[in-house]
Amino acid sequence: MLAEEPLPPDLLAIAREVLLKDLLPALPPDKAFAARMVANAMAIAARSSEEGDAEARLAALASDARSLATDIRAGRFDPGTPQHGEAAALLDDITRARCLVSAPRALG
Amino acid sequence: MDEPRRARLTAWLRAATGEPKLEIERMALLSGGAIQQNWAVDLSDGRAWVLRTDNAATLAVSHGRAQEFALLRAAFAAGVTVPEPLYLCEDATVTGAPFFVMRRVAGTAAAHRVVKSDTLGGSREACVRALGRELARIHTVRPPREDLAFLGTAPDDPCRAFIAEQRAALDRQRLPRPVLEWGLRHLERTAPAPVTAVLVHNDFRTGNIMLDESGVTAVLDWEFACWSDPHADLGWLCAKCWRFGNDAQEAGGIGPRAALYEGYGAVDDARVRWWELAAHIRWASIAVDQAERHISGVERNLELALTGHMVPGLEWEILRMVEARDAG
Repeated sequence: MLAEEPLPPDLLAIAREVLLKDLLPALPPDKAFAARMVANAMAIAARSSEEGDAEARLAALASDARSLATDIRAGRFDPGTPQHGEAAALLDDITRARCLVSAPRALG
Repeated sequence: MDEPRRARLTAWLRAATGEPKLEIERMALLSGGAIQQNWAVDLSDGRAWVLRTDNAATLAVSHGRAQEFALLRAAFAAGVTVPEPLYLCEDATVTGAPFFVMRRVAGTAAAHRVVKSDTLGGSREACVRALGRELARIHTVRPPREDLAFLGTAPDDPCRAFIAEQRAALDRQRLPRPVLEWGLRHLERTAPAPVTAVLVHNDFRTGNIMLDESGVTAVLDWEFACWSDPHADLGWLCAKCWRFGNDAQEAGGIGPRAALYEGYGAVDDARVRWWELAAHIRWASIAVDQAERHISGVERNLELALTGHMVPGLEWEILRMVEARDAG
């Protein structure tokens, strides 16, 4: 069964617009911060995450994220080691995908 | 604060000051941090005080009110611009939690206003020069100090001690954090030589420093102070994550780095840069812990929930810093 449109991201976008354009100007100043936080939360929720091929690439380096973390701590992916570039690229890609949802502006 | 508490507070203050006629004319909750409550206390004779007490969301790593009072006294004696600490009450039955009273100081600390202003603190340059001088005064406090015994023994190698503490913090967290490990491993590979530890404020950043048009009026929020590398404070202030969007002004989004260094005196820039990366890692780890309070249900709160979504952006910055430092 296909989901009824408008889909959740569109609903959140229009609801956010109402919040910022109609409600926020009418709120007392001490409630503005809370309203902006709600708008921010809705923006994050509206951006969906794409897994990509991170799982497969992680599997080539370590059994899971925890062992990747342990191996990094032990120096197994230091500059000069064979898999340094692969590990750096995987962390970049995973983090970029996480930023696209949580903090797109951080990507510059 | 309800009437019975206020009455008990008045009685306690009368005993502490030795002034049987002392009257509280007005009490109002000031905008405070997530950890403490600050109350404005106006006395009938015109004296203006602040009462500082604990909030529900107290982080385990922060010092209690008695310790913060001792830190304020040490800083005040060292010539740091802090509100003069007056009286400490460790008896939780008076107002519901331990508290202390200090003189009230005028000014603005709100970070987003501070970084937009060209005149707060005198001027951007004058302000960060003054901040450098404040840090230099803080760092004249050296271990061992009996009054600051709660800070524990000073580490022989503050940089490596920082790495060990951060790894222990990651080990306590629910999820692995490969990017924070990546940053910590870089810090370990590039750790500078051991340095003699001094008193470090450990949260000296825009938002925790009160300013008016003439200069610094108060260095606030001492609850994370520790014995460490003095460059840790300079790095925390200069870290990009604490510039509140005003990235061009490298000292806290307020003014130029060079003026901060001038105000401070002798600065090892390479050490500061090391601590700037350390600052991003520490803040990311704190943000994870704050979000976890919401996720676990300990404290359901939108601000804590959103703080968790700052972590990916901090991780991105950590990756970029490590990449640039490894290339350089």
